[in-house]
Amino acid sequence: MTAFPGVALLDVRGASFGYGERRVLEDVSLTVKQGSCVALIGPNGVGKTTLLRLISGALRPLHGQVLLRGEAVADFDRRQRARAVALVPQQLDVPFEFTVEQIVEQGRSPYLGRLRGLRREDREAVEWAMELADVTGLRDRVFNELSGGEKQRVKIALGLAQEPELLLLDEPTQNLDIGRQVELLDLLHCLRGRGVTILASIHDLHLVAGNFDAVHLLAPGHRLRSGAAEDVLTPELLAEAFGCAPGRHPLLMPAGRNA
Amino acid sequence: MLLVLGVVLILAVLLSASVGAVRLPMRGIAATVLGRVGGLDDMQRTILFAVRLPRVLASAVVGAALAVSGLLFQGLFRNPMADPYIIGASGGAGLGACLAIVFFSEVTFLGFSATALFAFAGAVLTMALVYTLARSRGRTGGITLLLAGFAVGTMLSNSTYLFEVFDPNGTQGARIVAAWLHGVIGIPRPQQLAITVGLLSAGMLLAYPLMRRLNTLALGDEYADQLGIRVEATRVGIILVGSLLTALAVSLGGLISFAGLIVPHVARLLLGPDHVRLLPVVALAGAIFLVVTDTLARTLFAPTEIPVGILMVFIGGPFFLWLLRKSKREYAL
Repeated sequence: MTAFPGVALLDVRGASFGYGERRVLEDVSLTVKQGSCVALIGPNGVGKTTLLRLISGALRPLHGQVLLRGEAVADFDRRQRARAVALVPQQLDVPFEFTVEQIVEQGRSPYLGRLRGLRREDREAVEWAMELADVTGLRDRVFNELSGGEKQRVKIALGLAQEPELLLLDEPTQNLDIGRQVELLDLLHCLRGRGVTILASIHDLHLVAGNFDAVHLLAPGHRLRSGAAEDVLTPELLAEAFGCAPGRHPLLMPAGRNA
Repeated sequence: MLLVLGVVLILAVLLSASVGAVRLPMRGIAATVLGRVGGLDDMQRTILFAVRLPRVLASAVVGAALAVSGLLFQGLFRNPMADPYIIGASGGAGLGACLAIVFFSEVTFLGFSATALFAFAGAVLTMALVYTLARSRGRTGGITLLLAGFAVGTMLSNSTYLFEVFDPNGTQGARIVAAWLHGVIGIPRPQQLAITVGLLSAGMLLAYPLMRRLNTLALGDEYADQLGIRVEATRVGIILVGSLLTALAVSLGGLISFAGLIVPHVARLLLGPDHVRLLPVVALAGAIFLVVTDTLARTLFAPTEIPVGILMVFIGGPFFLWLLRKSKREYAL
């Protein structure tokens, strides 16, 4: 439970979820403060994506609640939800040759009337989102023909065009080379500087230390650990969470943490 | 763009109305239609109004309806290979039409033959069946829908061949059925043509507000849902309008494949994938395409007329194969 209930933008309380018989998440609680940039880490298959989808409202928790500014996301209507939370997915497959600008414009869907096209404020939001994610120069390129790093930035621009209060990112650094990873972290810093609250699941633990205000470690069969990076990224906790003997990986060497 | 296509469509209609067993001067047709002097003589007028124009306009309606329903289904299934033929709507409409030809050939309603009405019911019922089969746990997978549609459609369209073999009315019915299966645009009654044009316009108007949502659906169901789109409702709307348009086309021209595939695809290659922009372009281009093809079908080997559906297969088949080879590189499924 949060120590500062007044400043928590996101408050997940005892959320559980499962697919059929299989329980994926059991009694998960976490908070994300307004304006912070937070990492969600944990081993493969532990339910990071499921947790993000619960928070985005794509899934409903079986038990517990996901509160945004104290209101249950599950009770939001569809469009209200789309204006409050944006989830940038790992994978985005587009069957047709939409341009980057056309893709980012889709982020305005929750603001448009049934028949109305984009109005001036929608255009401005699209420009703002593209500029922030640094894809303005790619505007007329076909999305499918972009590189992995460029696609990632376009997906973030699409999320930003929703003008959400909370931006969720599912493995934004996956499949990027080191240079693109650093670029992406710079982008997250920049967004944080502009007041965007971010919760990102991150696969690569090397990228977590020093880059996030807080870290949530999701481990199978354990309670979620939350705290500053140096408190969560300890060899003991990581070894326990990832089921890997201490000393078998550079990050798990007691003195070898590369922060 | 729309203006150019509109002018081309008018020219195509005039040209098509002028050629045939009796040649009518284009200038005379234009003057007659506009009610000016210097038009056609009485016999020519009869040919124009009773034979040529109804058929040419019917082919325009069929082309527009097929092309737009192709656009809708391709967008819905996020698959450039989809068309009303492939997902079963045409097969259902064809079976309905055959039932009517064989059992209810005398019945008419509002100028519609039983054939047209049964074609319509067949298309809508088939799509409802396909949709129900493909739906599980409140969701409908695009690929599942496509496969279910293909299976149901193939079963239905093949079962219509049985009417050719076991026809209770003898050779006459069998010949009409055969014409239906191969796609021949008949000469509709004025009332039927008017209602069909009205329904086509209604379908286009209903489709228009769905086009922007179809763009969002291209990002995938879950993403579209996240962007505030009512995915299932949009899907049902698209299927209803698409089936309506398919049924209209089948009720006038029988089973014509490939038209619904080629037109939207070429339009998308030229103008990009924005459905809002594509809708009117595809409707006009589809109308032009079928007016031209049907004119060729009845004049190429005159006095023998080949079914427009067969001619379309010879144009569409190679195009589809070209598409297949091209898409192997572009779309990873």
